[in-house]
Amino acid sequence: MNAPARFVTEKGQPLYGITAEFATPAAVYHAAETIRDAGYRAWDVYAPFPIHGIDEAMGIKRTKLPLIVGAAAAVGVLLGYLLQWWGSNVGYQTVVQGKPFGSVTEGGWESFVPITFEVGVLLGSFATLIGMLALNGLPRHHHPLMKKDRFLRTSDDLFMICIESKDEKFDPDRVKELLKSAGGTNLDLVEDK
Amino acid sequence: MTQVASDAAGGPGFARSPWAARFPAMRAENISLPAGAGGALSGGLVLVGLGASVATLVMPMIGEAFKWKHAIASFHVGAITALTMSLGALFFCMVFHLVNAGWSVTVRRQFENVASLVWVGLALVTVSVMLSVWKGGEGLWSWMGMERGENYLLDKKSAYLNTPFFLLRLAIYAVVWLMLAGLMNFFSRKGDAEGGTEAAARARLVSAPGMLAFALTVAFAGFDWLKSIDFGFFSTMWGVYFFAGSAFVSVATVTMILAFLRRSGRLEGVVTVEHFHDLGKLMFAFCVFWAYIAFFQYFLIWYANIPEETAYYIHRKQGGWENLTTLLMIGHFVVPFLILIQRGVKRNPTLLIAMAFWLIFMQVMDIFWMVRPAVYAGAPADAVPGATALPLDVLGILGPVALFFGLLIRKVVSSPLVPLHDPRMGEALTHKNYV
Repeated sequence: MNAPARFVTEKGQPLYGITAEFATPAAVYHAAETIRDAGYRAWDVYAPFPIHGIDEAMGIKRTKLPLIVGAAAAVGVLLGYLLQWWGSNVGYQTVVQGKPFGSVTEGGWESFVPITFEVGVLLGSFATLIGMLALNGLPRHHHPLMKKDRFLRTSDDLFMICIESKDEKFDPDRVKELLKSAGGTNLDLVEDK
Repeated sequence: MTQVASDAAGGPGFARSPWAARFPAMRAENISLPAGAGGALSGGLVLVGLGASVATLVMPMIGEAFKWKHAIASFHVGAITALTMSLGALFFCMVFHLVNAGWSVTVRRQFENVASLVWVGLALVTVSVMLSVWKGGEGLWSWMGMERGENYLLDKKSAYLNTPFFLLRLAIYAVVWLMLAGLMNFFSRKGDAEGGTEAAARARLVSAPGMLAFALTVAFAGFDWLKSIDFGFFSTMWGVYFFAGSAFVSVATVTMILAFLRRSGRLEGVVTVEHFHDLGKLMFAFCVFWAYIAFFQYFLIWYANIPEETAYYIHRKQGGWENLTTLLMIGHFVVPFLILIQRGVKRNPTLLIAMAFWLIFMQVMDIFWMVRPAVYAGAPADAVPGATALPLDVLGILGPVALFFGLLIRKVVSSPLVPLHDPRMGEALTHKNYV
């Protein structure tokens, strides 16, 4: 705990956020649009299945993952090629089938292509997985919402929105008002522990 | 519901289209072109095409400097380019039906239009085949003029490579493709006129065996019309290579048609940026697929180093042809790869038009790379006898391609720009990429 919590519950626990429940994907979709337009940034929608277009309704920007993957793949291509070039031309020169050692200018680069491609794909796929986890803040062992029994229903038949207290615009009364006006029911406080 | 559309404006069956009532974008003037639109361009292209084709094939009759083999080869490059556009489009029509694709319904009519012109490519190829049969050894396929016992490899292959069987196969391919392209178009137009879901179901039924027949005929047509020009060559991958180029160029052609239609104010809200994004993905995918097939065909032969196989590539790696080979590697793969991998490019119809032009040019260069080095045994130094090569190559390629595009414009104008009653139309009109 570094900075003291901005908001605490009646029990004195730091406040994580305020949740509201929705019955249908359409309801949560339109509520998301309302919250997006109200200018909140630290909040999320929880649903049992992917809702098409929810990213746009929430105002989520496109992921930076492709750039990370592209950079990693380019590094892989370079490394894969250098590895083979060094091995065949510098480290362990071996004549195979009378073919050149392998370089773009002298010929023989052909034999490097499969490995170059594979290392590019390898680093690209590593970057995809690790980058995806990192951008999502995963893995994490605990989430404050997991304490709520009703939250477990968001993997079954319930849709939920949680506006988090770390949002700059966060003000408990106005957030409650907003969630209610967006059609949310069963508003609840979530403790950060 | 007010009935604003009439059969006269939207073509037969338009007024009863259930989609016209539900989607304002399906209004008649948005999904059809007035009769005679693009008539001048179409007529001009047909005239240029016919003129250039005839000129190419007349030149060897006039001047000694113009060789029959060369004239037919240049014409053949153009003819095969036109044919591959139709074949690739036929492939996509059948795939769309087979997988019950929703997004592609609004672009499928243009694939059908391109596929229906398979008769043009077939007729053009028939011209180069017939001229070669007539000219024998002077024609494009040198084995047609060779006797038994002259060449060991040809003797071994003669059960397959002989003129009567070659012509019989031409007839078989023609029947299969004309039938498949005809059926795809027949069911689509039938759906326009009658409505209902039956036509689409029938088209899918035809597509399954059709795909099998298509795969076999395209592979063997590639062996016959491109690979057997150099009859000593071996490559079982050739059929896939030929197909990869076909699929590739047909997507480029259709994207170009659709982008120009959008520029002429049609298909607003019907073919959206989402559809262009998907077409761009297909272009990108087949650009990579082509590179994969082209490289690995070469790679295995390079690795194995068996003389009768490597001769084909050695010929194309020296004496000036290596420049063309490098151009293909960079222009047919590296550059389009780096450009089309970007999301913004795929969602920009104007940039896609530029890419489509470039990719069609690259397909021409690819076919040129297959056909043209075979004309002269030696290096291009021998292959460029004075100033005769360039006019023959330019005219020979321009003729068939211009003719094809001229007829294509006429075909596009002739019917509604989308299948009017397709049961998956709603899905296509609201299509969106969620990535």
